[in-house]
Amino acid sequence: MNVAIIGCGGMGRMHAQMAANSGFAIKVCADLNQAKAAELARDFGAEATTDCQGVCGRAEVAAVAINTPTPTHLEFIKLAAQHGKHIFCEKPLARTEQECKEAIAAARDAGVKLFTGHVVRYFQEFETIKQQMDAGVVGKPGFAKTFRGGISPAGEGNWFRDFEKSGGVIFDCLIHDFDWIRYAFGDVERVFSQTMRRSEPEVMEYALVTLRMKSGVIAHVIGSWAHPSGFAVKAEVCGSKGMLHFDSNDTSIQTNLRETPGEGPGVIVPGSPVDVSPYQLEWEDFKNWLEGATPRVSPQDALEAVRIAEAALKSAETGAPVTL
Amino acid sequence: MAKIGVMSFAHMHAYAYAEALKSLPNADFAGVWDDDAARGEAAAKLYGVPFTADMDAFLGGGLDGVIITSENMKHRAMVEKAAAAGAWILCEKPIAPNTEDAAAIVAACKQAKVGLGTAFPCRFIPALTQVKDQLDAGGLGALYAASCTNNGQFPGGWFADEALSGGGATMDHTVHVADVLRWFTGKEFTKVYCENGNLLREGINTDDIGALHLEMDGGLVVSHIASWNRPQSFPTWGDVTMELVGERGVVNVDAFNQKIDVYDDEAGKGAWAYWGGDPNRSLVNDFIAAIHEGREPAATGVDGLRAVEVTEAAYASAKSGAMAEVKRLAI
Repeated sequence: MNVAIIGCGGMGRMHAQMAANSGFAIKVCADLNQAKAAELARDFGAEATTDCQGVCGRAEVAAVAINTPTPTHLEFIKLAAQHGKHIFCEKPLARTEQECKEAIAAARDAGVKLFTGHVVRYFQEFETIKQQMDAGVVGKPGFAKTFRGGISPAGEGNWFRDFEKSGGVIFDCLIHDFDWIRYAFGDVERVFSQTMRRSEPEVMEYALVTLRMKSGVIAHVIGSWAHPSGFAVKAEVCGSKGMLHFDSNDTSIQTNLRETPGEGPGVIVPGSPVDVSPYQLEWEDFKNWLEGATPRVSPQDALEAVRIAEAALKSAETGAPVTL
Repeated sequence: MAKIGVMSFAHMHAYAYAEALKSLPNADFAGVWDDDAARGEAAAKLYGVPFTADMDAFLGGGLDGVIITSENMKHRAMVEKAAAAGAWILCEKPIAPNTEDAAAIVAACKQAKVGLGTAFPCRFIPALTQVKDQLDAGGLGALYAASCTNNGQFPGGWFADEALSGGGATMDHTVHVADVLRWFTGKEFTKVYCENGNLLREGINTDDIGALHLEMDGGLVVSHIASWNRPQSFPTWGDVTMELVGERGVVNVDAFNQKIDVYDDEAGKGAWAYWGGDPNRSLVNDFIAAIHEGREPAATGVDGLRAVEVTEAAYASAKSGAMAEVKRLAI
């Protein structure tokens, strides 16, 4: 099955590799930045183009992988769906709940599969926490806490640092945790959030979010794009008789590389040194869905994660809890 | 030598303070009073000091100071008696379960002209005093945000009985961090939002988890987890941690993270052997120095009151479902 990669930055390269590993053929690599498209295309023996919209209609392409800035997702999803292409879309599915609804409707009407890359569901450490919890190790869970973050990412044209485009650390980064917490503990009742967002002395954001689940469980989610370096993930679940805890700072590989002179920091992709990458697992899930299986992440899941993230942004703005 | 008595061994910290009284050269551990005679007698025997069953007789014994380590709801009555007897007071935290009692405690000591300290040993943890020095020297630049925890194992007993404690984990485990943040920044809390509940332990009538969102003067945003969420199998009692995000970077402090991992087949599980400082001893030492020097202890009764203003607002928020203002009482 031929795939078009739309957006050839860090995640585009990652997904091209995973797609290729899963048996897809990378047919065309599209990016507004000609050099990035050409570089990725060369590495995968594909064609390069700057016509990102055009690739959605290519007859030889059966699926597209969308790795562009979030506000552009909906346009590509609609185009791809119109042309009957299956879609692998990087998270967040779209910039607003309304856009998610349009995206889901477009895919449904066209009868194509719309997969969203909520990759944390495939991370072995998070899956192990969920398995332990489901096996009753902590007893009845009552509390969860996660941390995700590090240095503020820039991205092509600094789009991550443009709040209107990315939605900042809450919308772009913590959406992973919102999705996983909902996957592990069920639906969210209400959200409270605070953010510290600054442009001086440099662009930075630190977000503190509490989710009250319908089950009563309290989940506290911390996100940082305010650290001077690095990237870390932490997770904790406490229950009536036990506790589970994970900290990526305390794992098998620690690599600390100098920044490339003259270039801003890119997105740091956390590495789990495991037999099969979680990114591979999500591509396998996408592939299996195309062959009839049920995927771990549904389009509705992706929409719910966006709803939680939007509620957190609203709460941070108003200083009041937002009930979903 | 300062003659010091201990009033009540209801709070487990009493034992740490008693050890300090026994070992400090300028302290004379003069005796024990307890409304639970069996508990008081056992403690007195443990430390080789006299037990007095009658409170008035105890306070009439010429004490320079008392350490009050009773249940939260009993602090006020004991402070008022001890202050009237002219004893300086070191009161366990929270200084009271509500601001009404806390303000009365402060007023009673002011009127009796005795010094009043709140037992905030965090002010004497070397890791925290060093961070305070770092902040004061401008090492982090302006402070913008913080996320904190004071997690603990379930203490059981009166701590989880609202009639004696006045509240659960949100009350027990917010005041230390609230005090440290006031001490670090010189700023006061303005607002708090709190989600809490009894989510872990069955059969108690208090909360055992609190998630707080706080604001301080100048818009500093803080989250804090006040909990009894550490299981009995956890290697230690709990933690005090803070991630401080500022102009020049991030400081992470894990106040008690000075430990050796211990694996002993006979113990059946891994444990931590702590090798850091003894903040409880330093706290009692400061109290005794305050008596000798005629000054207030490092963390005063007003500091205790300010922390209780935060917990009271937190409970108000949890009840109303909205952000609550931290009302600062005039003193």
